[in-house]
Amino acid sequence: MAGLATTFGSGAMTNSIEEIGQAQVILAVGSNTTEAHPQVARRIFAALDRGAKLIVVDPRRTRLAEHAHLHLALRPGTDIPLINAMMRVILDENLADDLFVEMRTENFLALRDMLFQMDLEAVAAITGVGLAAISAAAQIYARAQKAVICYCLGITQHICGTDNVQAIANLAMLAGQVEKEFTGVDPLRGQNNVQGACDMGALPGVFPSYQPVENQDHREKFERAWGVELPSRPGLTLLQMSHGGAGGPIRGLFVMGENPMLSDPALDKVRETLTGLDFLAVSDLFLTETAALADVVFPAASFAEKTGTFTSSERRVQMVRAAIPPFSGCRTDSDILMALSEAMGYRMDYDSPAEIMEEITLLAPIYGGMFHDRLERSWGLQWPCWNRNHPGTPFLHKYFFTRGRGRFMPGEHQGASEPVDADYPLILNTGRVYHHYHTGTMTRQCPALNRECPEAALEVNPEDAAALKLRTGELVRLASRRGEVTVRVLVSAQTPPGSVYTSFHFPETPINLLTTAARDPKAQCPEYKVCAVRLAKV
Amino acid sequence: MPDILTTCVYCGCGCGLYLREAEGRITGASPSRNHPVSQGNLCVKGWNIHQFIHHPDRLRQPLLRKDGELVPVSWEEALATTAWRLAEIKERAGGEALGFMASAKCTNEENYLAQKFTRAVLATNNIDHCARL
Amino acid sequence: MNDHLILKKDHTLSLLRRLMREHRLVAPLRNRHGDTLFSEVEDLAGAELDLEHQPQASLKPFLFPQQETMFRYRLDGEGGYRFEPPEPGRPLLFFGVRACDLSAVLYLDVIFSKRGRDPYYFARRRDSLLISLACNQPFANCFCNSAKTGPFLEYGFDLQLTDLGDRYLVEVGRARGAELVGRWRHFFTPAEEADRKAQYQALLESRSHFQRQVHLEQAIRRLQADEPLPEELWAGLSRRCQDCGGCAYVCPTCTCFTITDQQITATEGLRQRSWDACTFGGFTRLAGGHNPVDPGREAVRQRFLHKLLYDVREHGRPSCVGCGRCVGICFGGVDIVRFIDLVCEVRQ
Repeated sequence: MAGLATTFGSGAMTNSIEEIGQAQVILAVGSNTTEAHPQVARRIFAALDRGAKLIVVDPRRTRLAEHAHLHLALRPGTDIPLINAMMRVILDENLADDLFVEMRTENFLALRDMLFQMDLEAVAAITGVGLAAISAAAQIYARAQKAVICYCLGITQHICGTDNVQAIANLAMLAGQVEKEFTGVDPLRGQNNVQGACDMGALPGVFPSYQPVENQDHREKFERAWGVELPSRPGLTLLQMSHGGAGGPIRGLFVMGENPMLSDPALDKVRETLTGLDFLAVSDLFLTETAALADVVFPAASFAEKTGTFTSSERRVQMVRAAIPPFSGCRTDSDILMALSEAMGYRMDYDSPAEIMEEITLLAPIYGGMFHDRLERSWGLQWPCWNRNHPGTPFLHKYFFTRGRGRFMPGEHQGASEPVDADYPLILNTGRVYHHYHTGTMTRQCPALNRECPEAALEVNPEDAAALKLRTGELVRLASRRGEVTVRVLVSAQTPPGSVYTSFHFPETPINLLTTAARDPKAQCPEYKVCAVRLAKV
Repeated sequence: MPDILTTCVYCGCGCGLYLREAEGRITGASPSRNHPVSQGNLCVKGWNIHQFIHHPDRLRQPLLRKDGELVPVSWEEALATTAWRLAEIKERAGGEALGFMASAKCTNEENYLAQKFTRAVLATNNIDHCARL
Repeated sequence: MNDHLILKKDHTLSLLRRLMREHRLVAPLRNRHGDTLFSEVEDLAGAELDLEHQPQASLKPFLFPQQETMFRYRLDGEGGYRFEPPEPGRPLLFFGVRACDLSAVLYLDVIFSKRGRDPYYFARRRDSLLISLACNQPFANCFCNSAKTGPFLEYGFDLQLTDLGDRYLVEVGRARGAELVGRWRHFFTPAEEADRKAQYQALLESRSHFQRQVHLEQAIRRLQADEPLPEELWAGLSRRCQDCGGCAYVCPTCTCFTITDQQITATEGLRQRSWDACTFGGFTRLAGGHNPVDPGREAVRQRFLHKLLYDVREHGRPSCVGCGRCVGICFGGVDIVRFIDLVCEVRQ
């Protein structure tokens, strides 16, 4: 999300999900929307039924791509040159929104200079997409009155993830497709409360509401509120913590409802790190792969047993309400944290989650009006919501960007961290399937979902399958430089020749043994979408 | 008891769904018709969200590793051990040697407490969650 | 028997309160979030009875729950099992049921007694009372006029109420309704000729208020003709299906279920049955992985043909009651009305 923060000043969806149904053009980049965000896909289909045009940019022929007017099946990891070429077409065809660029943005000349120096033929060669298709996509997008871009982890889970996002933001600003209703740039968040966890400052560099820990004024505000001195140096990111190795900088770790032993890349390294810790505590619903390594495991309450709020992808803060009390023996994570804090000599005294939120409204300006009683009476409120009377904000950047002017951030193509070679000739791409969620801690326990999707499938293109003499249902050994798993083949034209695709939901097939820990230096997001692998029959 | 409106725990769409309770068990889930996102329907994960809640594999008691094995212990013992071990590492190696992985599945209030706990009690900014994954 | 009586609106709640002594009252309640759901009424004074909006689910979840415990099993320590069926609850009284939803219950009665009476369904259905409300004002997606299940009912109800302003015209349907009226005689007065005329007027007005033109009959005739529908029609619909199962779950007449056992402890467990949907790939997948139905091209075929063709063959009428609940909720926009329209287009 660093990419949108640099260009727009705020790393969140600029629209509401409902607005997507009203757009005239939808550009979906690196998003398997029908599987990962069904409610967004529903709005895309609604827009199509109203006559909207759909452009899908994805190496795979996803279900959404089957409905697209244009499907740009680019080579994995070549989003930047493709988007740059679209911008060049927009300039060449005089389709740029000059007034918008003039009034609302900065650093345009740097972008223009870069675009005029680029070689369009070379782009076609790098991306594998013809210039005619790129040109058509650019024109459809730029000519629309109201166009939205939806992107997802296909953009961010690359070594150049931040630059990918900035390229998308550049495109939207150049075409002036940002400021209005039904128009914007929408990163679709993968998890129910990933937005909220960021908003709450569960990040190494910022307090709640994105107030940097290095800023003395912000720090002093929190020191006054909490009555303790606070560290000023930004902390370690997730992968720095989970990939530090046996003698790494982290000696003691508390993991609350996460499962790095399945979700993080290069799992062997994660295991080495976690088993090398002096102390590991985990709270979760089930004995996950991570909890199995812990020194202490706390039984946590599920979402049906607690009250609080989640913040969705569209910045909507909504109530979670307990339908039953916590199971006997289980406690909510807030109760666990309060008890632990008290045991360590720091009193956290809250009667209810509503009281915790009251403290948040005091300290996090974008949540300034998010009182539980207001959320109770509405379908939630979209931040920023500055005070009790503020109605919330359905779409961002109206009249001005959060950072003032939008900043063009020109970027150029970067090769993947691990190109294919003779030993590892195929690209492995990983993602999600419709029936399961993340590490499957919850969904794998649902009989209905397990029946629909009982195990991982490795999608192999028919050409590659023919060359390797593989058929659907056969087991293969899939190996990268870091590890190997056995997985069942699904011959499918959805995946392009030269690459294979599977998901990471299944502990039986821990695909992240294979993935690379190489990551985007700015956002620290690992390159899940590209690593080199080879296949062999079992 | 009437059906309870809550928010789905899976993807980032944020559907409003009703949980149905019968004799202390959650036996069903259904979409809210007027909720701006769900608008009368859920995906298959949402419709079946009640199925994992009462799964027999749910943890019901804190576990503590003794002689290499995780064994059930009381809440008091689990909390005291955790507090003591974390404090000991902080004393010996400083807050920089401690870390916290918060969760995109937990509530805002819980994540707020997690970062407050990390910064104010563990004295470090080593807190992150799977936003990057 | 089709007596006509009058029940003043002022006295309706008092009557319901009396009936709640022996029944669990289920009625459309508007909750504080603004949604209207059929809910069990615990406190009649505190509940907001909402007869203006269509309840978002039908009566199906009360008679055939999304997940129900068939029995609890225990190992008895001597190598055998003990089975404990759930306790039956007090009989149900459904109030404010629209014609479509009541017609759906009549269909469920048939389905659940086809191969022997389903004990779980009839344990709840047997002593239940149905008080319906004739639809003076159809909702936006309604097409019961086309499905011939409404807006007013001719039979099937215990009592049918028609809103005449300050009073309801009450028609007595089945014996249980007559028994109710007989027992609480003082709540009712005989209807007059003017009341019957007012009801007829309301029916005519209601018929003119439907917003959708759905040619169900025409589609059925087209399906009954022996020429199959173009493959591309099915494939086009199936490509849009996102496998949520929502259409089957909200449908008041979809009754597919699956049975699972859930272990609770080493010696104890539950056998449960849960809603299923024929649109799911796993519904027809065989052991070994083969699926006789290609979900990519035929996902919705079984569902639509069952509703509009097989049930017509078997029972002489379609099992779509025109409640419109599945309209507009389909993620891919391929609900039954879209299908009916497409089928009618093929014919032309």
